Amino acid sequence: MPNDVKTNGVEPRNESVMNLAGQLVRLMILVMVLLTALLVVSMLFDAPLGAKANPGHPINPAKAPWYFLGLQELVSYSAFIGGIVVPTLIVIVLLLIPYIDRKPVGIGVWFAKGRWIQNIFFGLCVLAMIVLIIIGMYFRGEYWNFILPWAN
Amino acid sequence: MGTTDKKSKNAAPKNGGHVIMDLPKNIYRSVIREKTTLRDQSESEPVSDNFFVHVLPVSPLEHPRFGYTLGLGVISMSLFLIVAATGMLMLFYYVPSTEQAYERIVDLNATVSFGRIVRNIHRWGAHGMVAAVFLHMCRVFFTGAYKPPREFSWVIGVFLFLVTLVFSYTGYLLTWDQLAYWGTTVGTSIAGYTPILGDTIQFLMLGGTTVGQETLLRFYVLHVFVLPLLMVTLLGLHFWRIRKDGGLAYQNGNERD
Repeated sequence: MPNDVKTNGVEPRNESVMNLAGQLVRLMILVMVLLTALLVVSMLFDAPLGAKANPGHPINPAKAPWYFLGLQELVSYSAFIGGIVVPTLIVIVLLLIPYIDRKPVGIGVWFAKGRWIQNIFFGLCVLAMIVLIIIGMYFRGEYWNFILPWAN
Repeated sequence: MGTTDKKSKNAAPKNGGHVIMDLPKNIYRSVIREKTTLRDQSESEPVSDNFFVHVLPVSPLEHPRFGYTLGLGVISMSLFLIVAATGMLMLFYYVPSTEQAYERIVDLNATVSFGRIVRNIHRWGAHGMVAAVFLHMCRVFFTGAYKPPREFSWVIGVFLFLVTLVFSYTGYLLTWDQLAYWGTTVGTSIAGYTPILGDTIQFLMLGGTTVGQETLLRFYVLHVFVLPLLMVTLLGLHFWRIRKDGGLAYQNGNERD
């Protein structure tokens, strides 16, 4: 509790203080910056709206929203692996992470040295997904054929 | 602590006090619930007794480290509120019918006051939320903040991420344009590759064998009722666990004993 924290003269302590107003002000600033940014983006760019749905005329390629393009890229190799196995595995691994990696090492520190294996593993998975999304977004044309975005 | 047994001077007398004389004081107390006897407890009351701020820490650090959380949780939550607010406005205009949905959105864009900007905020806010929730998850991983006692908070977070994705996915169809229609056709056909239950799942999602009126209605009900309910419930659980597990992870190791 605030008044009982001893500094011991070792390092400057970052004490916890009763400061509701300060918290609310910080919260408000963040929300206002966010809201302003979102308003500006929304005034500059319109949300996409294509032609009315026509079940008789498929569009080519039919791309998923960007956050699913990584999976769609995997699906183009194998629908079962990319669409079922990989997403299921991702979810299972995500759910198990805190029950597998329980050692109290590097808690509350960015990229703690004691956790380099975990960080590299997770980082590579994130990187792989981002690369797949970029491929799906820019390097895939009709019939999901490989294209170069600057070619046409 | 030091003040453990010290009675607050505002503590009610044992016999209940004078009915008339103490009336204003009693009313005041009954509203703000100030009858604590412990100093720490009374100091924490502005936070813990107020419904709207009780999710905040009672005593945050004097010098909060923005570089630690990057505000990603707050950003995710704020975007959810913004998207919910704009979504509620659009509910007044949208009709989940294959004959009307698209025209209603064209109208919303062209003739409804502020219709276009409300839809734009909803769409970009939703994209932003998917990104923010994902980055929040990365932050929690790279700071090791999911370790005991916060395991279950992480698990709820994974479900919140999934709900966010399904939210976006169901909203994608509602515009009933070409991209929505064929995107959903591709997406639901993937569900058909699930072993054994594939066809059943696909039929359940579509309400038929192709994307049509039943699909639109199903996605609509999920998007505007089921998922919001699920999201709010999980968010409540998530925030509750954050407080019960001791707040931000970095406070435990360095600042608390």
